[in-house]
Order: sequence, then C-alpha cells, then structure tokens
Amino acid sequence: MSDIGKVRVRIPSSIKAGDVVRVRTLVIHPMERIERDAQGKIIDKKYNYITKVTVTYLGKTVVSFDTTQSVSENPFFSFAFKATDPGQLKVAFTDTTGGKYEGTADIKFS
Amino acid sequence: MSEHGFSRRSVLGTLGVLGAAAATGALGRPRQATAQALGMQETLDAGLKRVFGGRPIKDAGGLVKLDVPLIAENGAVVPVTVEVNLPMTPSNYVKHIYIVADKNRIPIVTRVALAPEAGQAYMGANIRLGETTDVRAIVEQSDGTLLQAKREVKVTVGGCGG
Repeated sequence: MSDIGKVRVRIPSSIKAGDVVRVRTLVIHPMERIERDAQGKIIDKKYNYITKVTVTYLGKTVVSFDTTQSVSENPFFSFAFKATDPGQLKVAFTDTTGGKYEGTADIKFS
Repeated sequence: MSEHGFSRRSVLGTLGVLGAAAATGALGRPRQATAQALGMQETLDAGLKRVFGGRPIKDAGGLVKLDVPLIAENGAVVPVTVEVNLPMTPSNYVKHIYIVADKNRIPIVTRVALAPEAGQAYMGANIRLGETTDVRAIVEQSDGTLLQAKREVKVTVGGCGG
C-alpha cells in the first residue's frame, strides 16, 4: 500500500496562548498482527508495526507513546499539550522496519 | 524462541532503539531502566510484574477517567481515552499512562510517557481486543505512585487474530 506512512495531525482551529490543546493524530500503517500456521504455531518473521510515537513541541518532547501489536491498524492517538509559544508541533512515528513517518502542525495564536 | 513471536533480531533491534532513547534521555532527565521491549506475549500477571516489579497498585477512584465503550462490536478498533485529574507541575506530574488489556495475548498495549509541559495528563488511542476483557488504565506519578482504573469491555468479534 503506497499510503503507508501518511500522517495526519489535527489541531483545534483557534488556540489561545496558555491553552491546554488536545491534538488528534493518525498514521496509515498496517500494524501487522502475529500470524499463526495451521498448528497454531506462531510464524517467526519480522512483523512490521509501530513501536514509538514521539510528539515534539518547540524542540522538546512533550508526549511519547511506546506501542505494541495490541494497537489497531491505522492507529489513532490523541494527546494534550500546553501551547505557550507559537511554533511547530511535530509527531514522529517509528516502526520495526526502521521506517520513520512525520507529521507537523503549526501552532499559531488567534 | 518462536513461541514469543519475536525473532532474535527484532528483539535486539527494539532493545537497541529503546536503549538509545533512554541513553539520550528523551525527557531530558535520567530515566529509570525501562529499556525493554514492551509488547511481549505473556500473561497479565507476568506482564504487570515485569513492568511494575510487584509494586502495589491503588484504586484511582475518581482521579483517573477511563473512557472505553461498554460493548465493542469490532475488537480490531476500540477507542480508549484516559484523562487524569492530577496536577502537572515539574515537581509532581503524571509520568506514564499504561493501557492494559487483561486477556490480550500481548496485555501491555501501550505506554505513554508525559512531560510536565503537556499541561494535562490525557491520552487517546485505538486498541485491539481479542475477546471480552477488562481494560485497565494504570497511571504512574513522578513519585512512583501507581493508580489504576478498570472497565470491562464486551467484544463481539475479536480483533487480535492469531
């Protein structure tokens, strides 16, 4: 699927300085689950799933998720952060194949 | 080995990544030894013991709000949100939120690490549930206190596959 790694980051349309902002983010990713053969034995292969989600705001990590295969396909995450200054919010996803996917949102005050 | 569903390489690779994250101090302060793979195939008790080392877990009462559907028709996508009514100051904040699904083959679903800059301890994620099970949110504060909130989710169609 060529869509793998597409990241969407949604922030509220109006943010005031000092607000605690809730952000929703989504990445297109298969999050492969463990497969078993007919005997119920786990097939030993390298499964491709996201293990780490890091949220950086103004160069500082505010939230990070360590994820496992118990997380859904095309995983959706939400989190909160305190908007103190205008700047960039970056969400980075890392999977077991070494793939890195990033999405950004510009935090501006209205 | 194959019983755990991990190749040696993937386990070592994950450990390496976590180790590197711990070494660089992702939160800007020394982290305790959490450099281990999270997603292991294990029983709930083994998982809790591995992650929390047998520390007592208190009932959170109204402090932790765990929001999951009572009935999940599709176990492959179950939305979970956790909101914690505790202060987020540099001296006292919510350090980690764990989501645990008791009967999943991989019970420790996710761990969220928070910095005081987050302003509020809140997280949401879509998780998989293999069967009807209790879902717990376990909150670790910066002083090491553990609080948990638990809800049962009825699952019509399991979503964990193998």
